Amino acid sequence: MPTEIYQKIAETNTWGAIAPELALAILALSLLVLEIVLPKVAHGVIPRVAILGQLGILAYVFTTTCAGTCVTGEAFGGMLSFDNTGQLFRMFFLVTSVFVSYLGMVSLENKTLPQVEYFHILLVITAALMLLAQASHFVMLFVALETATVGFYILVSYFRNQVVSLEAGLKYLIMGALSSTILLFGIVLLYGAGSNPALAGSSLDPLNFGNLGVFLSANSSDSLALIGMLLVISGVAFKIGAFPFQIWIPDVYQGAPTPTTALLAVASKGAGFAMLMRLADLFSPLGEWMYPLLSTLAVLTILFGNLAALTQRNLKRLLGLSGVSHAGFLLIGVVAARSVEWASTAVMFYLFAYLLASAAVFAVMVHLGKDDDSDLTLDDLGDLAHKNGFLGMALAVGIGSLAGIPPLAGFIGKLLIFVAAFEAELYGLLAVAVIGVVVSIYYYFGILKSAFFEVWRFQDDDEETPEEPVPGASLRFFGKVAIVLAVAGTIVLGFYQNPLSSLLGG
Amino acid sequence: MTDIFFYIFSIVALAGAFGVVISRNTVNGAMCLIVTFLSMSALFVLLEAYFLAVIQVLVYAGAVMVLFLFIIMLLDVEESAARKTSVYTWAASVIAFGILIVGVVAIYSADSIRTKAESLPEASGASLKAFGYELFTTYLLPMQLTGFLLLIAMIGVIALSKKAKVDS
Repeated sequence: MPTEIYQKIAETNTWGAIAPELALAILALSLLVLEIVLPKVAHGVIPRVAILGQLGILAYVFTTTCAGTCVTGEAFGGMLSFDNTGQLFRMFFLVTSVFVSYLGMVSLENKTLPQVEYFHILLVITAALMLLAQASHFVMLFVALETATVGFYILVSYFRNQVVSLEAGLKYLIMGALSSTILLFGIVLLYGAGSNPALAGSSLDPLNFGNLGVFLSANSSDSLALIGMLLVISGVAFKIGAFPFQIWIPDVYQGAPTPTTALLAVASKGAGFAMLMRLADLFSPLGEWMYPLLSTLAVLTILFGNLAALTQRNLKRLLGLSGVSHAGFLLIGVVAARSVEWASTAVMFYLFAYLLASAAVFAVMVHLGKDDDSDLTLDDLGDLAHKNGFLGMALAVGIGSLAGIPPLAGFIGKLLIFVAAFEAELYGLLAVAVIGVVVSIYYYFGILKSAFFEVWRFQDDDEETPEEPVPGASLRFFGKVAIVLAVAGTIVLGFYQNPLSSLLGG
Repeated sequence: MTDIFFYIFSIVALAGAFGVVISRNTVNGAMCLIVTFLSMSALFVLLEAYFLAVIQVLVYAGAVMVLFLFIIMLLDVEESAARKTSVYTWAASVIAFGILIVGVVAIYSADSIRTKAESLPEASGASLKAFGYELFTTYLLPMQLTGFLLLIAMIGVIALSKKAKVDS
């Protein structure tokens, strides 16, 4: 047994390079310990510990980027490869997780549900997604993805006393299992093609992205590899909710607890694009087949997302379908990255803008004070601006940024993607995207209309009108800071992109 | 000699699979599935993938099937009455069968697939020792992550199913 080889591999297991992920895992475990150790009255402190811990890790990740000391290159025998994009996705998932922790803290308050487990699972998901964004081996990619997905199954059905939440969980379980199967089958086919010693460029470990890249550029028309690529892309398209695979989105978004919906909308989409950007790089020898495929997906996704959202009255379904169309815009960026180098930077910028805007919108949603959050409709927003100006303003900025209204960050994000598409000479895609934006203005402004203008509603005098929930009653100092940060980030990035773009470029 | 065993076990595996599809009684179906799993593990032995064969028996024929039987018992499924198969089911199964045949023919006729067995490198996971070395060196990080996967699955089951606390 040649143990020296294994020794060499074991030496590349540099645990220090994944310190943020390890810290998250330890934080997640210590939350469970805290629940046992602390007396029951002090349990309210646990979510705060989770948020502060994540902020600390975020600060650590931030300093390692800016100081230029971030680790680059491969580690763990080629399982992970670190680069600037991976570092940015670490930050992206951490910021998302901090916001979702806050939303979870608000919406789990005063509920007879287990509390600490939500944050524990959330932190493990975040760590898994951070590893996923840096995976350079299909085994690592799949294990990280499954860890995150299993966590999502639980968080979607977390409000187990509500039937819709359980139904959403079941639907997501079946759809997620199906998509994982498709992805896994694709990986297996790639393994089979890449390990065939009769072909040039084959290797013993074809699941490693580097080895597979060598194989694919030597055999760019291998039918087995093509089918494998198709299946892997389909599996990823499930995660981002691209057109033929978007059927799960409205039901799951509606049934899931609002914090989980936010996590699904932002983190799951971000993870999908982290994978897709790495995979598009890897599969570029098969680009002749892959880029037309991705372009078709983008067109159908934008058209479907925007047209299906037009008639929605339910707020969460509406946001889910608008998220589908955002996935379409991001797909254009991925396609443009084939010939325009900075297009992947534009995709990152778009994702950050989407994160901040979604954070503001979802924060408003949890503060509307409605008990059953699965059937929030546009009517529930009625006169929000009069009842609570602060939340109304946050909603306006968030929705405006999602719609792409200048001068907010969402506008700059869309503009960057469009310019990239223009430089890459993707005029057809660009035309569809512009139509999509125009259509989307209608339903985004429908939300704003119901929040800012009084709607006449039929009042039956004989019937006791049920007491309306007061929006913003659960808003505390912490929440105000979170919302102000999301709104300020959206506005500042709209005017002044330097801080983020220097991060992205560096 | 190996060829004869291969045909015997293949026929048994196929017969078991047919049994799963045809049998109306769910418990009988589960038993037929065990037969299929066992003969598939015998096929793995013929391919000299001993570790895979053991895993097949332990995990699939053992753990997974016990789970199946538990669920059948808990759900108390009655013997399903003979139902008329709809046109769509027929069409779907015919199409699926057609695709399967095309796939098998495509794989068998492709030149790149036909490689002499002698020229194939030894798979690193074939023997238990090599498998262990790989698992704890190359695949250490995914393995640790799998531990977290199982942990959150366990915690999730508890969080979703334990009795609601009644605050007094």
